[in-house]
Amino acid sequence: MSAPAAGGARALLAGSAVSPGRRRRDRAARGAILAATVLALVPLVLIVYYLLKKGLGAWNGDFFTTDPTGNTFFKNSNIGGIKSAILGTIEMVALASAIAIPIGVGVAIWLVEYGRNAVFANIVRFFVDVLTGVPSIVFGLFVYIVLIVGTGTSYAGWKGSIALSLLMLPVVVRSAEVILTLVPDGLRESALALGAPRWRVVGKIVLPTALPGMVTGILLAVARAAGETAPLLFTAAYTHETTTNLGSFMNSLPVQIYTDVTSPTPRVVERAWGAALALVVMILLLNLIARLVSRRSRLA
Amino acid sequence: MSPASSAEGSPEPAAGTVAEASPGGGGGGRAHFQDQLQQLERHALGGLDLIVEQLDRVLEALQHRDIELAQMVIADDDRVDGRYLEVHQGILSLLALQAPVAGDLRLVAALLHTIKHIERMGDQCVNIAKLIPLSGYDAPVDPDVVEAILKMGAFARSEVVQCKASFAGRDIGLAEDLVRQDREINRLNRDIFRAAIEIGDDLDRREWAMHMTLVARAIERIGDNAVDIGEQVAFVVTGLFREFSDSSRQQPS
Amino acid sequence: MSSTRPEEMTDLDPDNGPETARADRPATPASSGPATIVPPEARRRAAAARSADAVGVRLEGLRAFYGDAEQVKGIDLEFKANEVTAIIGPSGCGKSTMVRCINRMHEEIPGAHAEGRVLLGDADVYGSGVDVVAVRRAIGMVFQKPNPFPTMSIFDNVASGLRLTARRGELNEKVERALRAAGLWDEVSGRLSEPGAGLSGGQQQRLCIARSLAVEPAVLLMDEPCSALDPIATLRIEELIEELKQTVTIVIVTHNMQQAARVADRTAFMLAGELVEVGPTQEMFTTPSDPRTEEYVTGKFG
Repeated sequence: MSAPAAGGARALLAGSAVSPGRRRRDRAARGAILAATVLALVPLVLIVYYLLKKGLGAWNGDFFTTDPTGNTFFKNSNIGGIKSAILGTIEMVALASAIAIPIGVGVAIWLVEYGRNAVFANIVRFFVDVLTGVPSIVFGLFVYIVLIVGTGTSYAGWKGSIALSLLMLPVVVRSAEVILTLVPDGLRESALALGAPRWRVVGKIVLPTALPGMVTGILLAVARAAGETAPLLFTAAYTHETTTNLGSFMNSLPVQIYTDVTSPTPRVVERAWGAALALVVMILLLNLIARLVSRRSRLA
Repeated sequence: MSPASSAEGSPEPAAGTVAEASPGGGGGGRAHFQDQLQQLERHALGGLDLIVEQLDRVLEALQHRDIELAQMVIADDDRVDGRYLEVHQGILSLLALQAPVAGDLRLVAALLHTIKHIERMGDQCVNIAKLIPLSGYDAPVDPDVVEAILKMGAFARSEVVQCKASFAGRDIGLAEDLVRQDREINRLNRDIFRAAIEIGDDLDRREWAMHMTLVARAIERIGDNAVDIGEQVAFVVTGLFREFSDSSRQQPS
Repeated sequence: MSSTRPEEMTDLDPDNGPETARADRPATPASSGPATIVPPEARRRAAAARSADAVGVRLEGLRAFYGDAEQVKGIDLEFKANEVTAIIGPSGCGKSTMVRCINRMHEEIPGAHAEGRVLLGDADVYGSGVDVVAVRRAIGMVFQKPNPFPTMSIFDNVASGLRLTARRGELNEKVERALRAAGLWDEVSGRLSEPGAGLSGGQQQRLCIARSLAVEPAVLLMDEPCSALDPIATLRIEELIEELKQTVTIVIVTHNMQQAARVADRTAFMLAGELVEVGPTQEMFTTPSDPRTEEYVTGKFG
């Protein structure tokens, strides 16, 4: 290949200038992408705006410290706050997480470290994928049929947790599996070559390395569980008072919102918005805490 | 072969294949290096052609007492020396840049020795050439001695040609055969020496005869150098260095 | 280039001396190969310094499979104690696979298995009842890409071998000893709690070597340990190998023949799953016996 002469080099560079047609197309594409981004942001911004506008007004001291009273008919009656809903959500989601996270991470570990590409492992993966698409109401109905109608017992908070955990499980499995697969094989190899049994390799090397990524995926599952209404309708039902007995009916924020939003009393509707705002804020806080925790664990 | 080559290492279950040794073609056959090595060998062995030329001319000059021809031989030794420098530089270059190993390394080492021997041969031709004017313009006094010297020269010439052929063809048999011819040269050398002694008291003839012994010695050295090159051929092929025979040791007369 | 002047012709020829000079030249023994370069005194000193801890490894009829495909086709090879043996060969010849069979890492790949015997000292690593984990503690491995554990500090990285294998003992002391043996102590002694991933490539690889050494193996396998490093880091690790061989037996797989030539006492050449030739490195690179070896080391293929 012969090199161009000095003058020819300049021509070489000048000749490759961007043509006006190309510049137009570039700008058009950029504009389209920007428009799509703005379009996607609009509803998000609107949601936040409405939440704040309509819900913030409901927030006051009583809002968080009193239970809903159920006296919603009369205009000036004390309708109460949403304490039982908040606590109920926290309790039920905590129990659901305690069930779904260990099991889900365990399944993911098995799939990545032991099952790998075996036929059975691929079948499991297939079913997990199917479960991620199952509507949440189906989980609620399943628990309702099996644990309430089937046993002849009544609604309970823990049954709601079961339904929620079924909902969380495929999400936890999928996201944990993805992160575990991202852990470089070289780390496993080195640990194995040092003379460590595989379970120690997984526990002491693979999991800690995967932890920051897994936390994000798990948070998604928790957030989803906290916000689902349908499963709880047939399992934990609804009640006013705060209770720590997971064996009884239990209130929850989604159900509270569901109940309040159709009320004719404007203050009750406002309470529904306030509860929605509270739910979103709770999930946001959860997110922040989890990120702080994972960041510290990475440096340890 | 540069260090820090690209990564391999992962246990892929790929079948190992032996690529055909292809001439000319990227890093697959080190074609460029092989070319350079062959060129270097040709250049070095070409020095032997120069030696044959020098030897022919100096023997003719000796026979016809041609002083001008002798001067040409002396001047042309620069060509041999120049070739020595070129080959030497080429060898250094190959060693530094290409890191030859195994057979290639032995060849490079052998070429270094060989070009040194060629350079020595050239010097011996010059030594002979320098002796010619000293022989004087008088007719040579002993035709037998002259004949013996020319015969020695012929053997030496044949040895030079043969050592080149043996190197180029990596023919150990041919190399070992050089010893036979070298023995003849040694025999003639001894004969000339004896003849010189027998010339005895005749001052003029004696001086000439002494010079002829020196010429004979120079030719004998050329033969030795050719045998040395033959030993290098054996080294290149077998990796062992051994002397064919101590052809330089003179029998007590 | 000097041609003697006629007056000096009576002097002896400067290049050759008297005719008997040739006989005086020290005769190289006709039977043996080229003389070894290491002077005998140094060799004796090195032999005395060798510890008794390292053992040799011998492969007998080793075959390795990926499913049904035979990648390593019956190898008999000995790695002598306290020596560095290099394995060279073109890509795909099976040298990495073979080495991974020595510490039984090959069977970690799904569908892969090995047959034959691998003797560590006099014990078959593939014998029945042998604990794979114990094998790997005795036979350490350093990989091509330096991979310190990312969540751990330098200290924890070196100690991880001890912790993962639940070894007792004074951690601080062992970590320091391992880091010194790997030639890394001077550079990191002041920052042992910093993350291991913050070191340069060459330092990371030495950290991985320290990590393997902390477990005090008898044999160290190195699978192209320098191919991801720059030349200076490579040379430092080669010097390290020279020191390490006094305490461990080293097997190094390398793509780089110059490296094998610099570092190894013995070199083995593999081709298409078979062992073509093995011998002292000096012989392999000056007078190899097998023509395939000659072709490979001179670069005619590969």
